[in-house]
Amino acid sequence: MERRRLKLYLLLGALVIGAFLPLLPVTNLYLLTVLILMLIFVIYASAWNLLAYSGQGSLGHAAFFGLGGYASSMIALNSGLSPCITIFAGAAFSAFVGLLIGLTCVRLKEWFLAMVTFGFAIIIQTVIVSMLASITGGWDGYAVPKLISSDIHHYLLWEYYFIFIITIITILAIRLILKSRIGLALAAIRENELEARAAGIDPVQFKLLAFTISAFIAGIAGGLEIHHFGYITPEIFGVELSFWPIIYSITGGLGTLAGPVIGTVAVSILWDGLNIFGLTYERYIIIGILLILTIIYLPRGLVSLGERFEEKREGVRDFR
Amino acid sequence: MDLNPDVFIQILFWGLYAGCIYILLATGLNLIFGVMKIVNFAHGEFLMIGAYITLLFLALTGFNPYVLLLASMPMVIGIGIMVERLCFRPILGTGKLNEIFVSLGLIYIFQNGVALIWTDEWKTIPSPFVDITVSIGSLKLPLDYLIIIILTVGILAGLHIFLRKTSLGRAIRATSQNRKAAMLMGINVERMDMLSFGIGTGLAAGAGTLWAVSGQVFNPYMGSIPAIKTFAIVILGGLGSIPGAIVGGLLLGITENIATFTLGGAWKDAISFILLIVVLIIRPTGIFGEAGE
Repeated sequence: MERRRLKLYLLLGALVIGAFLPLLPVTNLYLLTVLILMLIFVIYASAWNLLAYSGQGSLGHAAFFGLGGYASSMIALNSGLSPCITIFAGAAFSAFVGLLIGLTCVRLKEWFLAMVTFGFAIIIQTVIVSMLASITGGWDGYAVPKLISSDIHHYLLWEYYFIFIITIITILAIRLILKSRIGLALAAIRENELEARAAGIDPVQFKLLAFTISAFIAGIAGGLEIHHFGYITPEIFGVELSFWPIIYSITGGLGTLAGPVIGTVAVSILWDGLNIFGLTYERYIIIGILLILTIIYLPRGLVSLGERFEEKREGVRDFR
Repeated sequence: MDLNPDVFIQILFWGLYAGCIYILLATGLNLIFGVMKIVNFAHGEFLMIGAYITLLFLALTGFNPYVLLLASMPMVIGIGIMVERLCFRPILGTGKLNEIFVSLGLIYIFQNGVALIWTDEWKTIPSPFVDITVSIGSLKLPLDYLIIIILTVGILAGLHIFLRKTSLGRAIRATSQNRKAAMLMGINVERMDMLSFGIGTGLAAGAGTLWAVSGQVFNPYMGSIPAIKTFAIVILGGLGSIPGAIVGGLLLGITENIATFTLGGAWKDAISFILLIVVLIIRPTGIFGEAGE
């Protein structure tokens, strides 16, 4: 009971900080941009983590992130609709491709799945820069409308709150999924696919569902990012954007709801902190070393730190 | 463009050369998988490091770059052994996803470590034989490609003899066949892990040296495309199967070059992925792979 209350307080605290941080006098435009990107990556990492929850580790989630961005911006440019609406259409397209990719991947286990998803991001990038170059502008990309028109006063602040609300809705939706029968089925498939099948769960169906939902949410994150920057290039399909959600989720805690959130915040702060010291290549090396150390010494991520601390305290009490 | 026999043999030859690089990479990956049952996603990075070590020693000694295989391969074997001991051994058996994620960390470390030392500009290694071609009938074959094919055959023959005839090689094969039984026979399986990871990465480094010397430009981030192609080969030939790696590598090298010639250069990289997807849809365990559970 006590622990539940503590969790509630922590959650409320995070919400209050999230809601009021941009209004503080210390928050300048740079910090606001950092916060916006942080929220976008919370959404993106949560999407990846949902797929990992079903035991499927994707190494090419940038495919969905980028497709969401490309589809949303294309629709926005051609129809004149506000990006606030088109991001969902873009995400739907991303989900559709996710379903197709899922169909080829769903029978594959760990290694093969990782290799194929890794390849798919590159394939889509290749297609966009070569075959679709006339529409997509090849490697140069094209300008896209801003999420909130920059004519509006304090547009960045509005953008922040818009993304903040989407982040909350996303996390609530994922929580709902994980607590439902779908979440149970996904966990069962992750732990033992054979037993899950014996219990009457169709692994293919649920894995496809996880793939589609994950692609949808990643597509939303991709749309938000490119409409925030006002520009899109095929770099969005790069290896780095596939790796970030993995690094965030592992640091925070794989397969937990809070993991991607905590991981994104912690790693982003570290990342931007190192930026201040003027480190470029070194930052990646530090992140790489931290990732390996986390996997070896803290396999359940930062969220398990609290539990460890508690176990220690209880252990002392028992001893007494 | 018509595909007369001469042109066809020429393309076949180019494919053979490209296939050799892929074979070395895929053999290394399969050797590691056979013994440790892990897929090293940072495999392409060892190819890249091999190329850079060759560059370093070329500047230091000025030897013929082909001789520098003797520097790049042993050095990367050493690096590979350290990587296995420090990064992979602590997490062996804790779940396959962990092993994948550790290699992601390695990709970051290696790419940016190399970029820190040599910057991320494109580099080349000039071959001393760049203008020499060997004429057989109406065919003109670049000497570099011939040397690479001969060296690859030599390296593979050496590996074959090592695995078949020496007691250490037998121990590695025993470990890959049945880890527990090997342990009961008094084989130090952890040492075999280290050794096979080292040899596997060393083969990748050899591929890197040959790749760089044959006129390819390279930068710290170039490892991922060859790595993906290697995955395609490994899936094509079956994970853990060295004969599969050889057949798959040749198949990809030749298909790629035929596709470039008939469909155009943009398809060169795409063809391996298309091949990969088709194989996965038809037979997810690969052509030579064992059937799954």
